[in-house]
Amino acid sequence: MGKLRMTLQTQLVLRALLEDPAKQRYGLELCELAGLPSGTIYPILARLEHVGWVDSVWEDPAVHEEAGRPRRRFYQITEDGAEQARSALAHAYRARKQPLPGWAAARPAADGGVS
Amino acid sequence: MNARRRLVPQRLRRHEKTPSPADVLAVVRAHHPHADLTAVRLAHDEAAQWHEGEMRRSGDPYVTHCLAVAAIVAEMGMPPAVVCAALLHDIEDTACPPGRIAERFGEDIAHLISAVRLAELDTVSPDSLTLDTAAPTLEQAVLAIRLADRLHNMRTIAFLAPARQRRKASETLEVLVPLARTTGLTDVSSELQSLSAAVLQPVSSSFAVTARVLAMLSLVLPTRQRARWREEWQAELACLLTWKARAGFTFRVLLGAPALSLTLRRPVGREHSW
Repeated sequence: MGKLRMTLQTQLVLRALLEDPAKQRYGLELCELAGLPSGTIYPILARLEHVGWVDSVWEDPAVHEEAGRPRRRFYQITEDGAEQARSALAHAYRARKQPLPGWAAARPAADGGVS
Repeated sequence: MNARRRLVPQRLRRHEKTPSPADVLAVVRAHHPHADLTAVRLAHDEAAQWHEGEMRRSGDPYVTHCLAVAAIVAEMGMPPAVVCAALLHDIEDTACPPGRIAERFGEDIAHLISAVRLAELDTVSPDSLTLDTAAPTLEQAVLAIRLADRLHNMRTIAFLAPARQRRKASETLEVLVPLARTTGLTDVSSELQSLSAAVLQPVSSSFAVTARVLAMLSLVLPTRQRARWREEWQAELACLLTWKARAGFTFRVLLGAPALSLTLRRPVGREHSW
């Protein structure tokens, strides 16, 4: 039974995938879209694939042979994954917007003390 | 006769993963729905028994090579007997007693295995090459197994020393690619060609080093997933133009490898919570 932790990086990758859910994207492209350093997102993509939010396929041989480079692995958010991801992102957003407990919400007073 | 045959990509997406015995059986069954597959199962058990403890340079158990070769041969549509020979094609390098294969699997399969080892592909007559997958001749069956063997070896060539990689790649381009093309195995010939070209095209030494590091790094992943990630990373690496970008990419993949390995080892489940 998979459990998906909505870390900041996972949210960024989901946002990148949701930008155009119909589009297949390769790892480096997703890193760039998500603003993450190259090479960091493979564990996240594997987790998303593991829970069925993302599908991956190899690039069409005709395309990469024409381009004269090795074939890429493409990722695309699934229909179910898009729905779940939107809901998870909204949930994460709401969680951030919840008021902090009183002690944590205390703001410094103008004189530097705690109001 | 079946000219211009393509491998079936739907069942085993090339080297996405190391095929399991069940994958091989499924492909044979797809091409030969009424065939008795008992011998194929036995051939796998026999290969697993005699290759036990042997490892490939990639760190994978040797029997994964036998399965990969058998899967490619099965994808060509070859009959179960040829798939059995593919599973057992390296058995003569083991402690398996001479005569045992003939005794257990019959003279035809034993003879085919010996012929695979002895065949000199550069002297094969081009007239006999178009594969008749329903009833292949001995020469066609030998060729199918040798092409499959080379294809899997080329897919895992990153683990050989550079000089040996270049030698194998040159031989593949000169002999194996034209044979595969003449035979009508277009997928095999184009994959062999691109794998060989990737070895032979001049690459910067930093690219070679980072590619090798990534290949080694894939060893922390589950055996059946290594080939997929290795290939994916190397394709990404090929897009990075500077030494610094390649080193950074490799370093980040290195940092993420334990997490990736854990994820890939978890049982598959689609339920989740967040």
